[in-house]
Order: sequence, then structure tokens, then C-alpha cells
Amino acid sequence: MQNAILRKSHLNDFISKLAVIEKVMAPVAKGPNHYAFEEVKSAKEISLQYIPTILPPKKYFMPQHETLLEYDTREGQKMHAVAEVEKMVLFGVHTCDLAGIQCLNIVFSDRPKDLNYLIHKNKIAIIGFECNNYCDEHASCALMGNHIPKGGYDMFFTDLGDYFFIHVNTQLGEELLDKTGVYEEAKIEHMNALEDLRAKKKEIFKNEVDVDKNMIPEYFKKGFDSAVWDDLGERCISCGNCTNVCPTCYCFDVYDDPDLGAKTGKRIRVWDSCQNEPFARVAGGESFRSQRKDRKRHRFNRKFRYPVERYGKFFCTGCGRCTRVCMAKINLKDTIKSLAKEYK
Amino acid sequence: MTKPKVAFFDFACCEGCQLQVANLGEALLDILEVIDVVEFREVMSEKWPQSFDIAIIEGSITTSHAVERIKEIRARSKVLIAYGSCATIGGVNGMKNNYELKDIREYVYKDKAEFFDTIPTRAVHQVVNVDYSVNGCPIYPPEFIRILKAALAGLPYHVPDNSVCVECKLNENICLFERGISCAGPITRSGCNSWCVNNGNICYGCRGMVSNPNENGFKAVLEKYDITVDMIMNKMNMYNKCREIK
Repeated sequence: MQNAILRKSHLNDFISKLAVIEKVMAPVAKGPNHYAFEEVKSAKEISLQYIPTILPPKKYFMPQHETLLEYDTREGQKMHAVAEVEKMVLFGVHTCDLAGIQCLNIVFSDRPKDLNYLIHKNKIAIIGFECNNYCDEHASCALMGNHIPKGGYDMFFTDLGDYFFIHVNTQLGEELLDKTGVYEEAKIEHMNALEDLRAKKKEIFKNEVDVDKNMIPEYFKKGFDSAVWDDLGERCISCGNCTNVCPTCYCFDVYDDPDLGAKTGKRIRVWDSCQNEPFARVAGGESFRSQRKDRKRHRFNRKFRYPVERYGKFFCTGCGRCTRVCMAKINLKDTIKSLAKEYK
Repeated sequence: MTKPKVAFFDFACCEGCQLQVANLGEALLDILEVIDVVEFREVMSEKWPQSFDIAIIEGSITTSHAVERIKEIRARSKVLIAYGSCATIGGVNGMKNNYELKDIREYVYKDKAEFFDTIPTRAVHQVVNVDYSVNGCPIYPPEFIRILKAALAGLPYHVPDNSVCVECKLNENICLFERGISCAGPITRSGCNSWCVNNGNICYGCRGMVSNPNENGFKAVLEKYDITVDMIMNKMNMYNKCREIK
């Protein structure tokens, strides 16, 4: 089975049945125009018409705080690795966030492999969900080519009126769908409807910055000392919002948390951000990026240049979260446009 | 092995941080397994006139008598922990520094003012050397325990120099600015796990400012959200007035 359909009237059955066999995480409304992935038991709790959640689904792959190992020094130096994982199904993941997870997969599979991440990944089933329209003006998914699905899911849902078209991409996806037992076979008219939607999307989703994507790394290289960074540096207040909400930012700090008595304890990793003042500070008090403009430039280069050089892949998914969440109104699309204008 | 002797003292404060410690619940039982509390006015009558391993100080220094007393305590303790906003950054007592000492003294003590000595409010580290700081009003219990463990193990603890926003975002709160409410989070030091915002309140800046706030950038942010600088400065001054004393 490759394709199936699910009547919208059966969505609640689908989610409820899934929630009996697995923990299901889906986008829920947190407040006006704010959403978060949270555990759900029924479809009624889910907001399918959502703009990107506050935090991307990376929080399930590399939790904000995660115990890596436990140690015991009462008799010698004993330690054992810890992996706090639980099986879950992520439902309703937009294509930008699927792209984000694919980026993280590359980074954490690179040597040295990050076993904690990979163990989480193996326990998570992903059900993607297509955007038929833009979420809002901050997205740049068409620039990054992430407005259409490019794999990275077990099942993928597309809203086609009174039913969802489901692309079943993996055996796990097929098994989950079978267990719910509420799908129907996809017929040729459903396939045609999907093709019609994709054709319509070509008219809706257009490169948002009018810059050739392939030239962007070059602009960033040439623009390393551009005044664009001075401007961003003056405005940035180093709150770290942009990196924490980024689906491809993965930097973390590691600290030991001893128990009382200090003989036993845990080693914990917590999300860190290159925008934070102490991030690049080393012994002796020297900081490699003491200026805000250095830190802002670094963040952009880690999306549009360095990963292209290392992995041949952009690490911006076009989700627009960094722009949406920036208190200083630092705008990703405007930044690319300004650099391109200078170096075209 | 004898347990380290620990004494709690208070200066100008509301004693709320001592209450936080007394209120630790089960964690307090674990703590008492590894330390010997020799003096703690809030919970016991005994005094300890000798030296101790750790002195834990609440409150800010607001009289010359307090200066002598904190110096005397410092001389008797191997390690000194300042805890709570009053002790670590001056806290609400710092608001006194907004006024002429003479005026504020007469306002509070009326015709008896001459009997009450007062000096500008100072945080403990502005008077004696402080080894560890537990910021916050009141202290955030998990951080207090973490720092106590660090002190017992002789490990350093650095109060995070990131903004509260960092932890707030990790907790996936909706930004208060997005809700049209002003919040001191962007310029306040984290370490509290955005305790107040998680529970529906705003950040009042009780942990003190980050060491290098982008003041111009933040002013521009306030303008965009239609919040006056005066309003946010009044809020910040509630806890941070001692910042001006070098």
C-alpha cells in the first residue's frame, strides 16, 4: 500500500485509535496565534490550521534538558549511559519541520554519532501534514524548496476537501495505518485531486526573496564584513529566541549535577545558543564572538553557508520562526535581500 | 566524618528566602543528612558563636552595624553564600537609594530619626567577599539546592549570564510582549527556569540584569511594543537600584 485516503469524519477515530496504542503528539492552540506540539487523545484537541509551533518538533528528538549518563564514584569511577526515551507518534508535522528533522538527522549521524539523538529518532513515528497555503508572511519555504514534501516521514497527510490523501512512506507508517483500520483505498480521482493541488500550489508558493538560492552561500562569503551585520548587532538583544525556536539549531551545553554528598550524580545536556553572551567564552575569559554582530553573522552563516560547504545542504527550512519570534524584528528575508543587493 | 557546619543569617530582608528553605519539603530531609545546621533564626533557637563551614546570608546591608556584623560573619566562615535578591543584588531595599538618606530616614522614623543610623543599601558582595550567589526573590529552590551541592563539593557555580527569555522559550511560553504585556525577562539573568512566566506572571527582574545588556537595542524593542523606557526602568529599579554602586 502506497496511498490511502481518510475521510475527515474519520479523523477523530484515527487519532483516538492511534492514541490508544501510542503516545500521540500534535499541534494544539496555546493562545492567540501560538501553537505547540503536545500530547493529544482526540482530534478535537488538535489545531490543524496552525502556523509553526513555538518550538519545532526537535524538542522530542533532543529534549531541552536530557540526562546523558549517571555516575557513581563511591567505588572507583563508574558511569553508565542513560537514554530516557519513549515511543511516540508525531502527527501534523509541516514540510518545513520535516526538513528540519532531516537536517538534524544528518548532523547527529555524522561522526561521532550522537546515540541519544538516534535512539530518540528510532522511537518516533512521523505523520507529516501538507500546507495548502502560506501560514503567514514570515515563511520562506518556497525559497528553501520546503513547501512540498521531500520524504522524512512515515505517513503524509494532504487536506483535499472532505478527505485527507495519505502517502504511506514506510513499513512503520503502513503498520500504524493498518492498526487504526479507518482508511480507504486511494483511487485515481484522489491522485488527480492531489496533482491539481500541487499544480495550484506552484502558483501560490513563489521564491519569497527574489534571490537565486544557489548564490546565497557566495553572498554570505563576500558579505562577511558587510555593514548588514553591524545593523543586526546594534538591534539584537541576545535573548536567544531565534536559535531556540530554529528547527535546525542543535547546540547544547553539558553540566554535571551531583547528588547531595557529591559521590553520585548525573550528566545533563541542555540547549545552548550561539546568541548567548557566554557561549563562545573560553578559559581566560576570551570570547571568540564577544560582539552581537559576530554572533548574528555566525547564526546566519550556520544556516546559509557553513552547512552547504560541509553537508551540501541549507540548514534554513524557511519556517519563519526566527523572524516571527524576534523582539528586535530582525527579519531573515530582509537580511538575505540586503546581502544579495550588496553583492549581486 | 563530621558534617559541615552551616549557619543561616539575615540582614535587611523579609526572611522569605529562609521560608523557602524551611519549605523545601522532602529535599530538606536529604540536605539535613549531609549538613549540620548550627544556627538558623527562622527555625531554631540555638546560636553558634564559633566558626562554621558555610554561612548563608539573606538580606542587604543597610546600616553600619550590619557592615560590622557581616564582616564578623565572613571572618568566621570558610564559604559564604549570598541568597535572595536583597543579598545578591540589593533587591527592593535598593529603592532607598533613589532618595536622600536624610529624607528617607525622617519619612520612616519621624521625630525619632536621629536614633536610627542608615547608609545606602548594598548587596553583600559590595561589602564582603561572596563565594556563591543564589539570585532571585525569592530564591528558586532547585537552584538553591544546586548551589548548595556545588558549595559542599567545592565546585564553582556561575549564575547564568543569559536572559530569562532563553529558559522561557525552552518552556515554550508565549512571549508576554506578544500578549501586549511588558516583561523584564529580556535583560534579566536566567537560572530561575522562568518560574514567574511559567505561572502566568511577568518577570520583575529580581535576578539582576545580564552583565552586558544591549540597552539601545532594548529601548528600540520597547518602542516597537509601545512601552515607555520610564515604565520598564521603574520596574527594573524595584530590584536593581544597587547596580549603580561600584
